[in-house]
Amino acid sequence: MEPSLASYLALSGILFTIGAVGVIYKRNAIGMFMCIELMLNAVNLSFVAFSRYYSDVTGQLFVFVVMSVAAAEAAVGLGIIITFFRNKLSVDVDDASILRN
Amino acid sequence: MNTLLFFQNLVNPDVNVPIVLPEFIIAIAGIIVMVYDSFKPAKQRITGAVSIIGLILATVATFWLWATPGNPASAFNGMMVTDNLRLSFTVVFLLVSILTILISSVWVENEKVPAGEYHALLLFATVGMMFMASGNDMVIIFLGLETLSIATYVMAGLRKNDLRSNESAMKYFILGSYASAFLLYGMALVYGATGSTNITEIAAVLSSGESAFPTLFLVGGAMLLIGFGFKVATVPFHIWTPDVYEGAPTPITGFMAAGPKAAGFASFLRIFAIGFPLVATVQASALLHESWITALTMMAILTMTIGNIAAIVQNNVKRMLAYSSIAHAGYALVGFIGAGVATTVTGRDEAIAAVAFYMLTYAVTNLGAFAVVTLLAQKNDRRTEFEDYNGIGFKSPVLAFTLSLFMLSLLGLPLTAGFIGKVLVFRPALEAGSAMLTFLVIVAVVNTAISAYYYLRLIVVMFFKERTTDWIAPKIPTALGAVILLTVLGVFYFGLFGNSTIKSFTKSPATTKPATTQNAQLK
Repeated sequence: MEPSLASYLALSGILFTIGAVGVIYKRNAIGMFMCIELMLNAVNLSFVAFSRYYSDVTGQLFVFVVMSVAAAEAAVGLGIIITFFRNKLSVDVDDASILRN
Repeated sequence: MNTLLFFQNLVNPDVNVPIVLPEFIIAIAGIIVMVYDSFKPAKQRITGAVSIIGLILATVATFWLWATPGNPASAFNGMMVTDNLRLSFTVVFLLVSILTILISSVWVENEKVPAGEYHALLLFATVGMMFMASGNDMVIIFLGLETLSIATYVMAGLRKNDLRSNESAMKYFILGSYASAFLLYGMALVYGATGSTNITEIAAVLSSGESAFPTLFLVGGAMLLIGFGFKVATVPFHIWTPDVYEGAPTPITGFMAAGPKAAGFASFLRIFAIGFPLVATVQASALLHESWITALTMMAILTMTIGNIAAIVQNNVKRMLAYSSIAHAGYALVGFIGAGVATTVTGRDEAIAAVAFYMLTYAVTNLGAFAVVTLLAQKNDRRTEFEDYNGIGFKSPVLAFTLSLFMLSLLGLPLTAGFIGKVLVFRPALEAGSAMLTFLVIVAVVNTAISAYYYLRLIVVMFFKERTTDWIAPKIPTALGAVILLTVLGVFYFGLFGNSTIKSFTKSPATTKPATTQNAQLK
């Protein structure tokens, strides 16, 4: 039996929520970044599910764009986290607190 | 038959080079700068000159697109369009980038910033902004947004050995990609509701009431609102702004407050004001329209009030300007809501032009202020507290008087650019005549009065406080002098003759065919 559109959307929604809550809950910059990647991939699942439902390739095309953007973002993001680590010897976001709140 | 159609589309991808000319020019200039820099690094004059020439050529191309009739209305099968929204915002972005390069010349030299890398990043960020304004398809808008964001994350952290800059970049990166994920989810849900990512087609499906899942519009719209709310820094999604603006190098802060914010407004307007129109007979459309107008009104009220009140208690000038930029996003939202409730296309275009003009006046004023702040901050942004401005008024009259002028324009004093900008964005909301929007405009006016406190405070500090420590007025380098001259002229020009600019912003270019997509015609 083929899963219905609703079950894909539910899975996508659950994964997105796990990611969104994880970003708030995690204190480690790398962990937060992984949660963001999880959110992006959850969205990709939605796109593919809708794309199949409508028999329209635009959704799959969008997924390719998202994946390449996520790769670029990962390269830049890890670079930023590493420069922070070099100066502070930590990737904990609680240590990023010089700027006053 | 289908195969034939496929090959036709294959050989004719509907590129329409003239339409994408401004973007092409900037992208090519960016690549030239990047490649040149890898052979001969740190030649600020050359990479800066190439960037500015590229930006000026793109500006010429934009005006040419505007003035020349007969260009096609869209390119890449309706993924990009030429209309007054795109062109007027593109002018703002190009101006912001030119001024940013000039402002940062001193900073690049003093702090040994890798000039080529920085200029290339700035040009790529500009391309991203331009795609955000010209994209008529959520794919292009997302791509433009990410091109802009990724380049800006790096620029915020360019001062690699300074912990404040690292921290600013990291916060911006994590919260920025978090917001992008929400935005993307919103796009996915709107795609799910309509089966298309094209804004024109989304509007058509929404108006016809033939959506397969009308409720997805509401959820998707809410997600888009969160994502864009973050990008243009509206309350309650503004928490990152003060920290990021304070920690980033000063010229970059000026750029972030003027450019990416305007770009966010451009695609925000494109998706909400154009993509989600009101068709009263269709239930989904009426419900969606009412929800986003109400949500945005709440956001605008909160943004203006919290931005202004928080700005009052700041002791750091950059932080004060960050909160002021939040408040200004709130004022621009008033014009945005005016565009949303406009009943005619002309009315909508006028309100959109008003928002673009507001972003233009804000960009000119704000970049002028940041030019002065950059010069006074000295190396590593050491001097950005209010105390550092004590009593400099008569020691460096040029800087102090121009900074005072910019503060008055941000406040919205008549005869300055800020005044015309505010009047124009408040007018469409007031003309709509609904009680909620009238209340919104009243809140905006009260907030303008509140903001007088902190803008005037800086002027008072500069002219009437005693200075206890020695202070030598910095020499004004040519590039910064040019920026200050240009922005002062701009503040007066838009303040006195803003009418002609707003008229040309309202004018749509005369294109050969209406902005429908080829896909729609094929079906």
